[in-house]
Amino acid sequence: MYYLIYEFDVIGMTLVVKANYDGMCFWTEKLGMSNLFRFWMYCYRLSVPSYMDSTSTAVADYAAFLEKVKRTVYVDNLSPQVTESVMRTALGQFGTVKNVQFIPNYTGPKNIPCCALVEMECLRQAEAVVSEITQFPFMMSGMPRPARAFRAEVEMFDDRPIKPGRRIQCRWVDRKDPDFEVASKIKRLVRKHAAEDLFLLQQQLAQEEKLAKQQEETLKANYKKFTIIDNVVSDGTAPGLAKFYNMKAFDS
Amino acid sequence: MVEAKKVENIEFKWGKQRGVGGKKKDVKFYESFSYDHVEYALYDSVYMYEEGETEPYIAKLMKIWENADKTKKVKVLWFFCPREISNYLGDEKTPENELFLASGEGVGSTNVNPLEAIAGKCNVVCSSKDSRNRQPSDEELQEADFVFYRTFDVGNCRILDKIDDKIAGIEVKFLLNRVGNQSSSGVPKLDSNKKVSGNVVATNDTRILTRTESYLGEKATSSSRVEFNEVTKLNDRLVDNSGEMASSSSKVEQISDIKPSLANQKSSPGENSASNLGLGEMTKDNKKEGIPSDIIASSSKDYVGWSESKVDKVFAYQVLVEEKVKVAKDSGDLDDRPSKKAKLDDLAKASYDNKVTGVQKVSHDSNGSNSKSVAQTTPASEDKSKSNPTKDHHENNSSLSKRPKPDEKLTRLANGKFPEASLRQPSEEGSKTNCQIQEVTRRPEADRSKWFRGLPWEERMQTAHEQETLVLLQNLDPSYTSAEVEDIIWHAFKQSCTVKMIQRTALASPHSGQAFVIFQKREVAEMAVAKLDEGCLMLSNGRPVVGSIAAPCFPGKQSTFFGHLVINKLRTHKQREMKEAVSTSHCSQPNTLEYEMAMDWCLLQERSDLALRKLRQQQRQELRKLWVTLKCK
Repeated sequence: MYYLIYEFDVIGMTLVVKANYDGMCFWTEKLGMSNLFRFWMYCYRLSVPSYMDSTSTAVADYAAFLEKVKRTVYVDNLSPQVTESVMRTALGQFGTVKNVQFIPNYTGPKNIPCCALVEMECLRQAEAVVSEITQFPFMMSGMPRPARAFRAEVEMFDDRPIKPGRRIQCRWVDRKDPDFEVASKIKRLVRKHAAEDLFLLQQQLAQEEKLAKQQEETLKANYKKFTIIDNVVSDGTAPGLAKFYNMKAFDS
Repeated sequence: MVEAKKVENIEFKWGKQRGVGGKKKDVKFYESFSYDHVEYALYDSVYMYEEGETEPYIAKLMKIWENADKTKKVKVLWFFCPREISNYLGDEKTPENELFLASGEGVGSTNVNPLEAIAGKCNVVCSSKDSRNRQPSDEELQEADFVFYRTFDVGNCRILDKIDDKIAGIEVKFLLNRVGNQSSSGVPKLDSNKKVSGNVVATNDTRILTRTESYLGEKATSSSRVEFNEVTKLNDRLVDNSGEMASSSSKVEQISDIKPSLANQKSSPGENSASNLGLGEMTKDNKKEGIPSDIIASSSKDYVGWSESKVDKVFAYQVLVEEKVKVAKDSGDLDDRPSKKAKLDDLAKASYDNKVTGVQKVSHDSNGSNSKSVAQTTPASEDKSKSNPTKDHHENNSSLSKRPKPDEKLTRLANGKFPEASLRQPSEEGSKTNCQIQEVTRRPEADRSKWFRGLPWEERMQTAHEQETLVLLQNLDPSYTSAEVEDIIWHAFKQSCTVKMIQRTALASPHSGQAFVIFQKREVAEMAVAKLDEGCLMLSNGRPVVGSIAAPCFPGKQSTFFGHLVINKLRTHKQREMKEAVSTSHCSQPNTLEYEMAMDWCLLQERSDLALRKLRQQQRQELRKLWVTLKCK
């Protein structure tokens, strides 16, 4: 292995570079003071990784991250009572769950359902989870609202590494620039969209509430009905009446 | 009481004979015939009706013959529609008019039926890229009633992309698109192991056929067919234009075949006992719409005669009919169908073909007080979003009353900025010259932030919010990471900060990414917001950054979650154990009450998704329109 060693002699204020091969030094050179500055610059640049050059580690990291994204499932429509252990047991039916991360909701309205990212062991398990939950209503921690599952996407993760090779540019636009007007319009549009989103969410919440109430009432009514029927049968009223009217029901 | 064979006088004429066969050589095979003034030939695709079924089956004529006792029979090879094999399709969403040709060895690929069961000709085009298939032109594909390019192997119960050489004993090249005149391939023999049909009864209005459904029976979608007494129109003869018949039947088929992903996803073979409720709603809907077209009118009458149906079909049909009616309607009878997103818009855009005229007008009035001068477009496309007509009036009113709110909110947002900004010193805005672009690189102390852990983000955000150093940035590229945003801030403001990019959820907008920024000091935060407002920080790709003082909501102990129902049982001695019993996570089975309620939720979810999709589409269009006018991108 070939490598260079830089030695800085503090007393003599000299920099000596040594070239080594397999631990054997075969060449040295004394660098003058002018080169000292260059040396410091080099060291500094080394210490500040720029994401503009595609160092192999950045690319490898990003590739590993992408692979993790593929294995991860995004689960939605969760009740706030779902905890990590619940998620683990629930999705553990499909395979090994490696990691569960809930996505906190800082911006939206308060009552929207929770969501989480669940990392599975392999791609196939993730696909199985998504297809099962999509095809059959999957109940978690309560009924009857089913949970939803999608394949995860890169932007859902908040600890994502930087995409290697990406360049961002920014500039301040002058007022006189014709783009300024357009940009202002875009800004207003963005705000409008945000408001639209919020409104739509609130509408959806209202509808969900409505459906839940309606179902609750139906359920209560049905439950009462069935309990009444049960009671009537079990406490002898129904068989008695049946005998009275000579009906063959409840003969067992 | 089954009548004896009473074939009325439907025109029939044999075409070219092909040969003879059978044990006594008294069976005559034919290549073509004319039935009710429509010409049929071998390997044509036809509709076949069965009494008791809503939609006709589609099949290819494989053999045509006349027995010694003058009964006419056809052997047909079936096409499967995606609904019938939904279990094998899984998640995949297929286009409405795709079919699958039966292939392979096994029960259910072919049947022998009386010729009278044929209800019409069908235009099925093979779009397979197979070399043996004549590639259809685009017009042919457009005009075709149905398209197929895959087969369904009934033996293995699998969908195959590759087409075999021979299906049901016939060379495949005959089954694909017709090139020119085809010559018959020898004299086919009567197979003894054919599934012979049952009694043949031709009544006045319906044609009966049988179809072996053993494999279907197991997978059980067939039992969901409903009584279809008068499928054709009331006068019910195929006499004039069986062409028209074919088209109307295809329309009926299309109505019932529109497959919302709901029907596909949640297919199930269970019985449904709550169908009556659904039925009642269904007929009410139909009547309410005042359906204009004849076909839909006749089919709506038919639906009244339903005796049973499955939940998923009921909802599917309900949704379908609503959808179809919406599409078919020209003028709005839609006072009871508000746009789901009924919001901040005016009627300015006449180019949208506006279906919700009634509601929109009202919305316009309530918007009259809108002080914002921003042109707002009519999202007429959301009219397609489905909402239950029976609930509509309430929704309508409530949504109308909500509409002024986002307007106010908008004005508040915007106005909130401007006075704030004007109070401050107008900071020197872009003192840089035009189009001076800065490359955003890592700021120098990037790595220092990794030196200490710091408090968890939520606490930091909370303190920042109290100290008013928290800023929300919008309209970032959603794929930026927190580190990149920190660098941007550094370059733009020469301030260091901590950033957290907000994780995108399914509900969030894909166009605009958001991030929380914690600055060091309050003045810095305010300065940044002011600068962003007055000036314009443009990122690559033409994205001006929008900044505002953030008002996050901290997820506390959220106790309201809609959708999980609990039965409050009477206080019995079992109370304590019941409390601890938590339902385990499971896939709901179709024969339970919870399944049906879950279907309700799925329907609601589908609607919400549709509305959201439309909204995103429209937002994308709006953004694009402005974006293309940017000079320096």
